[in-house]
This record gives sequence, structure tokens and C-alpha cells, in this order.
Amino acid sequence: MAESPATTERSGGVPRWLRLLLVLGFLYLFLVGVKGLETGIKVFGADTAERIFGYVSSPVAGLFAGILATVLVQSSSVTTSTIVGLVGSGSLSVAAAVPMIMGANIGTTVTNTLASLGHVRRGAEFRRAFAGATVHDFFNVFAVLLFLPLELATGFLSRSASALSSALAGSEAVAGAAPGTSPIKSAIKAPVKLIEGGMTDLGLHTGWLGALLLALSLALIFLALVLITRNMRIVMAGRMEAGFNAVLGRGAGVGAMILGVVVTVAVQSSSITTSILVPLLGAGVITLENAYPVTLGANLGTTVTALLASLAADRPEALTIALTHTLFNVFGILVFYPLPAVRRLPMRAARALAEVATRRKRVVVAYLVFVFVVVPLVGIVVFR
Amino acid sequence: MVFELFSGKGESQIERIEEQIQEMLAACGRTIDIATDALFGRVAPAEVGTKLRKSDRSVNRLEREIRRELVVHAGVRGASADIPAILVYMSIVKDIERLGDYAKNLWDVANAGGDLTGLAEFDRIRNDAAWVRELVDRTARIFAERDAEAAQVALNEADAKLDEFDAMVIAQLTSDRPSREGVPIALVARYLKRISAHLMNVMTAVVMPLDRLDYWDEDKADRW
Repeated sequence: MAESPATTERSGGVPRWLRLLLVLGFLYLFLVGVKGLETGIKVFGADTAERIFGYVSSPVAGLFAGILATVLVQSSSVTTSTIVGLVGSGSLSVAAAVPMIMGANIGTTVTNTLASLGHVRRGAEFRRAFAGATVHDFFNVFAVLLFLPLELATGFLSRSASALSSALAGSEAVAGAAPGTSPIKSAIKAPVKLIEGGMTDLGLHTGWLGALLLALSLALIFLALVLITRNMRIVMAGRMEAGFNAVLGRGAGVGAMILGVVVTVAVQSSSITTSILVPLLGAGVITLENAYPVTLGANLGTTVTALLASLAADRPEALTIALTHTLFNVFGILVFYPLPAVRRLPMRAARALAEVATRRKRVVVAYLVFVFVVVPLVGIVVFR
Repeated sequence: MVFELFSGKGESQIERIEEQIQEMLAACGRTIDIATDALFGRVAPAEVGTKLRKSDRSVNRLEREIRRELVVHAGVRGASADIPAILVYMSIVKDIERLGDYAKNLWDVANAGGDLTGLAEFDRIRNDAAWVRELVDRTARIFAERDAEAAQVALNEADAKLDEFDAMVIAQLTSDRPSREGVPIALVARYLKRISAHLMNVMTAVVMPLDRLDYWDEDKADRW
């Protein structure tokens, strides 16, 4: 049997090894973007940065800013990498960044909720798909409700992350590279310096130079992540199918969570993982109980992007905030998964909302607009 | 034809689905063997009832598994999913699952006391059943190899066989023989025809465009 044209089309005719090589290249561009962001902020000067981030100096405003920014770019990876870059530049403190990171966790859930709207005309199907999508929302909202006040009162997340960060920075030194002088960092700095030099030669100074560098870096981060996701989704498609089939066959549990982590780390997008679950939930081939741990794994897996971004930053605080993101999700899983009674809370909330949303479609629109747009906007204005 | 265009080796879980379809056909072959052993007096029907149901359940389980995996394929691949292949597989697994049901019906005839032994048509029906059983294996091979030429030959042979089965049923309708003779012959001919027709549907996936799947066993006047 001849190989079908469809097969060639699907892989785009690009060999797997070349795609992986391309992904490495895009990963490099992503790190250059984070470094450029850090440099751009530094060029702006401390006063400008303080003015910009003064708007979100309150933790609640920071939380809402994280939600809104992620909803706008439809990617928590972009938001968290940007936050890591800002922390790395020293213009944003870890304490101010923690609520933003938590907000990014909530904001990213909008994508799969939007994906569930594809089922809106078919009642039972929509009920399952919407519950499966919003269980992600509820888990993150519950985790923020629990951990944000705790973090503000005790700083347990950022302190743990800081201790872990110090330990890891120590191991970097042991490995033969002093912090900030690793070969990766040097390789990332070089093109940024080149671009900065070129712009200065063109006569651009402080304000324009900083703004242009920032815009270019943000575009690079966004583009690199999109291209990594697109290519890795193609490279990983077969394995993802096998993984999801295995989860469907064996049921929920830690295996499903690991699948969520692995797929998300590979495609660098929790939205891809959770959005894949939506049609499977809608079709009824996977239950909410089986999909939930995959979602939690995706939440954890997406924190790898911030960890990668921290590779580009000079200051150890960048790694601290990236680790805070990871620990927030690890603690969230530890609280909301092992005990069946607690595990059921986000699922019950999601099912209840889906029940109402199926009966009254206006609730769906109201939920999306209020939770992801109106509340964050009002929150930023009121709490800044 | 459909598969020539849309399916390709080395592509993900589609290969696994191909293997599962072969498993389904093999399980159907075993179910038909059990049923015909009972029907032609080689074993007592009651002795093999449990074995037959177990075999049929494995066919049903595979059908559900394949459907789930096709939904996963569509979900994971998104816009690049092999939609025509998904539709074809969805269609043919239903046909294959029906083979198991009709095999059970054959066993039901034997279990209800339908006795073909001693009838004038016994040898002919036994040969027809053997031909149908052989068609299961041929279909599996033709489908696995996407052998369009062999599919065409098998479809033509099976098409003629359908007419023979119909003629056998009509002959019982117009005959004066006792119902305990005519009914089992008519039922068995009908079930063998349906098994053949479902196998033909599977083979049409090799030679027909997607929109014409399943139309081979229509009355000739209604086909196109």
C-alpha cells in the first residue's frame, strides 16, 4: 500500500529529527526573548519600571493582572516567562510576582473553556465537556483561595522556592559554572547585546531603545512558544494518542497525572493538553474522574516553561519565582488530590456549574466574561 | 480506494487500529466456527453456548475500544486528524460487530432445535457456510493488504452468492415442505447472506470512495 498524501501533509514533509532540531532553535530564541525582556527593562531604568509595576503593587491587583494578561495572550507560558524576565531584571519583586503567577494559572483555563463551547448545541455532550473544562478553573481558583492568603501571611511558597533555588544555584556552582556565567547564559546574552548595540548605533536611546527591545522580546517569546508548541504537537502526536488511550484503558490516577505532565512539558502548553480532553469528555469516552488528574498534571507541566525562562536570567530571584510556580501547583495537587473527599470538590463545583450552564446558555457567556474579563479589570482598578 | 488516499503506515495509532480490526475479524471467524459446529451437528449447541458468547463479547469489546481510540485520534490531532479514515473505521467496525451477532443467530437456530442434518440441502448449506467462513479470512487479508484487485473479485463472487441465498429463502417461502425443514433453511440462508453482505461492506472500503461505502449489497437497481 502506498503511503498516503495525507500522511505527508500531516508531518509537513519535515523529518522528525529536523523538527526536534528546530524546536531546540526555537527554545534558544525563547531564551533570547526572555533575556531581551530583562535587558529592555534595565534600559528603561528603575523609575519607569517602578511606575509601570506600581499599578499592580497590591497582591490582589497582581493576581488579576496575571489573569487578564494570560487571557489576552491565551498562554500562561508567555505570561509566566515574562514575569520571570521581569523578576530577573530586578524590576519586579518575587513577592509582587507570586500573585501574578497564580493569576496566570487561573487565566490559562479560559482556553479549554472556550474549546468546550464547540459542544454548546448538544446538551448532554456540552454538560460533560464544560464540566471537564471548568474543573481546571475550579482547581486553580480553590488553590489560589487557599494559598494566596497563606503566602501573604507566611511567605511559605516563596520561602520554600528560595531555599530550593539557593540549593540549585549551589549545584550550578559545583557543576563548574558560577551563577550568571554558564555557557547557556553567555550564548543567550550574545545576540541580545548585538541587537542592543545595533539599535544604539541607529541612534535609539533610553526610552525608544527600551520600548523597542521590550516589544521585540515579547514578540520573540510569543512566537518561539507558538512554534515550539506547533512542532512538538506534530512530533508527539502518536505518543500522545498512545498515552491518552492508556489512560482511557487503565483509568485515573498518578499515571494520568504523569501523562498530563509529560504531554504539557513536551508541547509547552497546558492549554493543548486540557483542550484535547474536552472533545473526549464531550464524546463521553473519558470521565471527569479520569480527566481531572490529567488536568492537574498539565497544570504542573506548564511550570517547566518558567523554569526554562529562568535559565536566561542573571538574578537568582528569577529561578525562585519559577520554582514558586512549580511549588504552588505541587502543593495544590497535594491538597486537592490525595483525599477523595477533597478531590471531589473541584469536580462537584464544575458539574454544578455545567448543569446550570447547560440549562441556561447565557450563564456560559456571563461566566466567561465576568471571571476572565470584568472581574480582573475591576479588580486591577479597585485594588491597585 | 479510500484507504489508499487517507491512511498511511508509520502514522500513530491508526496502525494499532488496523491490528485491532484484524483481531476483530479473527474473533468473528472463531465465533462463526463455534456456531457452525453446533449448526451442523459437530457439537451439542448447549456445550458451546458460553464459549460463543465469550467470543462475541470480545468482538464487542474491540469495537468499543476502536471507537474510543478514534475519538482520541481526532481529539489529539485536531485539524490534522485523519477524518476520512476515522469515518471509514467507524463504519466498518459496526459491520464487523454484526458478524458476531449473526453468528450467534446461527447458533440460536441450532440451539432452538433447528436440524439441518438429513435434509437434501444439508451439503449445499454446509459448503455455503464454509465459503462464508473463508470469506471472513479473505476479507481480513484483502483489508490488511488493501488488495483492490482481490477485493473486486471477492465482491463479485459474494454478490452472486447473495442472489443464491435470496433464492434459497424464496424457495422455502413457496415450498410445501414442513416448517421444521423450511424455517431453519430460510433462517440460515438469511444469516449467511447478512454475514456475506457485512463482509462486502468491509471490502468496499478498499475499492470504493467514502460516500459509497456499504452500497454493494443494495439491490442492483438501487446501487448507484
